[in-house]
Amino acid sequence: MTDKIRVGFEGDFQVKEIAVAPGDPAPWDPSKKFSIVGTRVPRLDGKPKTTGEAKYSIDVRLPGMLYGRILRCPMAAATVTSVDLSAARKMPGVRAALVLAEPGERVRFAGQEIAAVAAATPEQADDALAAIRVAYEPRPFVVGLEAARKPGAPLVFDGKAETKTSAGDVESAGKGLARNGNVLGPRSTVKGNVEEGFRKADAVVEATYVTQVQTHTALETHGLVARWDGDELTVWASTQGLFGVRDELAETLRIPVSKIRVITEYMGGGFGAKFGARIEGLTAARLAKEAGAPVKLFLDRKEEQLATGNRPSSVQTVKAGATKDGKLTALQLTVYGDGGTNGGTGTSGPIKNIYACDNLKVDEFDVFTNAGPSTAMRAPGHPQGAFALEATMDELAKKLGMDPLEFRMKNDPSAVRREEFRIGAEKIGWKTRDDRRQTQDPWIRRGVGVGAAVWYNTGDTGPRATVTIHRDGSAEVEHGVQDLGTGSRTMVAIVAAEELGLPLEKVSVSIGDTRLPYGPESGGSTTTPSSAPTIRRAAFQAKKQLAAAVAREWKVPAESVTVSDDVVSAPGDPKYSLPWAEACKLLPGQGVSATADRADNHDDAWQRFTTGAQFAEVEVDTATGRVRVERVVAVHDCGVVLNALATESQIQGGVIQGVSYALFEDRVLDRRTGRMVNPNVEEYKIAGSLDVPEIDVIMVSVWDGVNNTNSVGIGEPATVPTAAAIANAVSHAVGARIRRLPITPEVVLAAVAEAEEARAKGGPA
Amino acid sequence: MSDEPGSGFTRRDLVRGSLVGAIAASVGAKAEGVKTATIGPGAAPLELTINGAVHRLSVEPRVTLVDALRERIGLTGTKAVCGRGACGACTVLLDGESVCSCLTLAHEAAGKSITTIEGLAEDGRLTPLQEAFIAADALQCGFCTPGMILSCKLLLDRDPKPSRQAIREAVSGNLCRCGAYNHVFDAVERAAGTRKAEGPASTELFTSRPAPQASRLDDDPRVAQAIRDALEQEG
Amino acid sequence: MKPFALVRPRSLSEAARATVSPDAALKAGGVDLLDRMKEGIDSPKTVVSILEIPGHDRIEAGPPAKIGALATLARIAGDPGLQKTYPALAAAAGGAATPQIRNMATLGGNLCQRPRCWYYRLEEFDCRKKGGSECFARDGENRFHAIFDTDLLCCCVHPSATGTALLAYGAKLEVLSPKARRSLPIDRFFSRPTDDATRENTLNPGEIVESVWIPALPAGSRSIYRKLKEKESFDWPLVEVCVSLAISGGAVRGARVVFGSVAPTPYRSKAAEAALEGGRPSDELARRAAEAAVRDAKPLAQNGYKVLLARVELERALRQVFG
Repeated sequence: MTDKIRVGFEGDFQVKEIAVAPGDPAPWDPSKKFSIVGTRVPRLDGKPKTTGEAKYSIDVRLPGMLYGRILRCPMAAATVTSVDLSAARKMPGVRAALVLAEPGERVRFAGQEIAAVAAATPEQADDALAAIRVAYEPRPFVVGLEAARKPGAPLVFDGKAETKTSAGDVESAGKGLARNGNVLGPRSTVKGNVEEGFRKADAVVEATYVTQVQTHTALETHGLVARWDGDELTVWASTQGLFGVRDELAETLRIPVSKIRVITEYMGGGFGAKFGARIEGLTAARLAKEAGAPVKLFLDRKEEQLATGNRPSSVQTVKAGATKDGKLTALQLTVYGDGGTNGGTGTSGPIKNIYACDNLKVDEFDVFTNAGPSTAMRAPGHPQGAFALEATMDELAKKLGMDPLEFRMKNDPSAVRREEFRIGAEKIGWKTRDDRRQTQDPWIRRGVGVGAAVWYNTGDTGPRATVTIHRDGSAEVEHGVQDLGTGSRTMVAIVAAEELGLPLEKVSVSIGDTRLPYGPESGGSTTTPSSAPTIRRAAFQAKKQLAAAVAREWKVPAESVTVSDDVVSAPGDPKYSLPWAEACKLLPGQGVSATADRADNHDDAWQRFTTGAQFAEVEVDTATGRVRVERVVAVHDCGVVLNALATESQIQGGVIQGVSYALFEDRVLDRRTGRMVNPNVEEYKIAGSLDVPEIDVIMVSVWDGVNNTNSVGIGEPATVPTAAAIANAVSHAVGARIRRLPITPEVVLAAVAEAEEARAKGGPA
Repeated sequence: MSDEPGSGFTRRDLVRGSLVGAIAASVGAKAEGVKTATIGPGAAPLELTINGAVHRLSVEPRVTLVDALRERIGLTGTKAVCGRGACGACTVLLDGESVCSCLTLAHEAAGKSITTIEGLAEDGRLTPLQEAFIAADALQCGFCTPGMILSCKLLLDRDPKPSRQAIREAVSGNLCRCGAYNHVFDAVERAAGTRKAEGPASTELFTSRPAPQASRLDDDPRVAQAIRDALEQEG
Repeated sequence: MKPFALVRPRSLSEAARATVSPDAALKAGGVDLLDRMKEGIDSPKTVVSILEIPGHDRIEAGPPAKIGALATLARIAGDPGLQKTYPALAAAAGGAATPQIRNMATLGGNLCQRPRCWYYRLEEFDCRKKGGSECFARDGENRFHAIFDTDLLCCCVHPSATGTALLAYGAKLEVLSPKARRSLPIDRFFSRPTDDATRENTLNPGEIVESVWIPALPAGSRSIYRKLKEKESFDWPLVEVCVSLAISGGAVRGARVVFGSVAPTPYRSKAAEAALEGGRPSDELARRAAEAAVRDAKPLAQNGYKVLLARVELERALRQVFG
């Protein structure tokens, strides 16, 4: 079946013919008058979350439950020579103990798991942990990207790189890439001919940009509660993917998928680090089996910061050329990333996908070090990549004598983002940004900077949902998605209520359980564009069932009955028309129910990237290097916004994490021992209430027709350009280029000093 | 400098009221045979008055208040995040003052009035502050929310019309990782009745505007090319 | 935390007797002690809690001021008398840590707290402060460490904000021991790593800070506390500075300049004080004094920037205090 749909944004629409899957409604049309979609809907679980009633997995308490703890290696590299649990097993309250790293096994970072215990109280588990005796043979180690690249550096992996990966990892080691010492790669992308591109350029800039390692630091730590009932396992996990936890447990424990149930009623944040059962899950399940009692195993903060993943560092050399009239002729990126014992450190998303350039060359190298493994973190590779790319765009514009925004517009192929640039520029007062640099205080300078975002419309097939319409006119949705705090529970209700024409309070939602129809994993901003079309399809089909049931009562052909808004009618005869509630009374006791799988994306609709532009205004104390982000204007393509309030929250959150990344966060490893010296939230600095800017959120509605709700995910794009915009704003304020994150006083002062030196030598500032 | 102390308290201290008793007790403690109380190291009984209800339990002195609340009593609304007083997730009110329950010994909270997040709503009726948190979406994952709300409650109890800066300062010991801060400020303003516009003036849903000067959506052949390239690379 | 007995004496004298043993630790607010115990860097068998002993939390703003050691930072910060007469102390207390911590932390605890050096704070590092033989910070990750007195075996910085202010005011501590009381000028309270790297003060076993006495300041006195942090929300300062001086006959008299977060003790800058003495308040004088203050700084490999910050903060403090 084909349908003609309109795609586009704000008045600039075009008609496309697409194939619509049977049983799937066509994408909502731009003329659609929504009753709930796009309004500001307070989240449905607001009450339990504000009263303390919400039970997160870490809050689960079961009769006879034990507390599990993991012992970790204090050395950056070692071989385990012995693990003695005998004393620990004799400690009061201890019911189970496990060796996680057998003698002979290599330990590759300080914090790696060695053994585990379960005891009756948290204190007894702590005491038992202290009674485990482990002997190690220390090995040479290397931390820090530069040190690891040096010839003769100790090798993190002697043979094949056995990186532990989780479902959220972007890409890992191996895959036929060359390895030289600790360096893996390059993963290369070539388009056109960059050498030729640089020859054609009237201006060329080249510089190296450095970013730090960021840790996810979700407030609820990794962990779960595991309970065996015979051969059936139930776990309450803090996870971004219920079904991934289930599948990994089944595979590793060699039990049928059908015997495992995973529940995540509420979840205290993930940001990319919580996929799969992980070692905590397997350990809890094994401890529970051995003890014959449920086990709660949640990490403490130190463990969380050491061993549960991070955003890798990067050292990016970017070279770019453009003609006098501001057309990019060549872009080149060479990046080395420190992902600890994991790979996937590339940063090329922005340089490949934001600006149009005929000649592009990218070489990405992973550098292994004896540090905690990297994993996916909110827009993997993109904040780093955007920081380097957008600084380069500013530098090149400056060399060309062009306004940096104008230069971007000339090279941006996305009409949506060009519009976002225009909206944001107006809002932040881009035109007067130079006039605002000076303040009444001679030391304080203001600056305004811009950064562009790209992400991908990532929703996909897999999810399934059941919608039931009851005789009393209420409806129920069952869908095994988890709500990380993004508001997916509320999103599910909104889509169902909109499609059924019901008020929200008539719809109840069950999520967070693998006993429900399959839900998507929440990574890559996929949740909404995967779930929402599934819910809509199931609701659409449930309505058809309602129509069919009513038609049977009315003894008219099923296809002649329509359900629109709150009226069920058979056109042509006014006596066949009933309000929704009355029509539902005609249903049998079990109501009607439809289960639907998500339809394929409409690849024949308007494919596109998810774009965004952010502008930051900062105040810099040039004597101390202290930066304050005063304001951020965030303009984002949000597809068709399902919940304006939750979307605003997500964008603000992305901006705030970006501010924190830009100015404060930095995992610090001691070079001489390889240990992390700030595994806490005190010296690992995260933006607090006094550090956050006022944020203007502007949501640009875009109707892409890719799925039946035109929805996209906003979690990731919202954090892609923030650090880039801030760094450009600081550079604008102080007249010196910031090439390193986080932008601490030390970094600003160094940049200012360097610029002054250059000026003194008569060189370019 | 006549009041410079030589040894001990000054004469002026002694003639003032409240210290006299303390000093007498201090100096005379042994003589009066007042015994120093010792608890533990094993488990010892105690009573905690939480949200007006008395809970009896028996724990070792090393058990912190947050662990007693969560793991012994089952009041899991209070969250433990950093365990070191740096994040405020475990904030409770102890005799009306906000404290970190992760750095408070359960035994030392005995005899005091403890208010946790569970104690705010009465008979299921939310306080205006809780309602404002929901209406302003001042939470995402919700893990910082109990501590955040208690800090805000304390602020509003003392300063019913706080400035935005005062709100920022009041929650400066409450770490939020999702980035709900701005909505927290909005929520407190809403609860205080100082929020100027209903709904955020700062957000725009940008749906209808005259068509821009932009070219047609995919007129630019570079768009199609870029997308093809990206798909190739991602796939 | 390892198991311990919680001892709750009725008086400070009792407490003093109970803490003579090296296995005992004194606890007031407990913010710092429990943090250390949780990390496993301190494991006392007995914790002697003085938190509930009445009568030691009084604030008399004076002048002279007398503040019980159990007064919380929140109360010190909010005391109108202290704000007026000893504004640097009120500001130091009010800017420390977080609102919750300021409700718990006491003045005595703030003075006696252990350093925040990340090597000291992790059980994995057996550093000099824990009786080990090495200062890991000296050639390690030292961006937040000392820039003065860096040749003294340990490069940590003293964490007490109130100590910085009290040193500038020339305060004295009333110290109680099982047998006696003594008055201890605060500059003799702080000890240097070369005296004993495992300690930061000169209290003897069983001695307890009972109260703090701050002298009346001469006519024309002014004082100020400033600090610079990376974050505005909870963060340990990169640099703190406290200045107390009088302006008499148009000239600076009796200036005391103390830096915090730059040395293993609150660091009194005699060089800055000498540069100020008798000078006419001016921007130029502020600049000269600030330059003098950092002349003998000996930064480590990663913290040269703190020297600049110390200079700027002092110059600004002086310009502010000169009005």
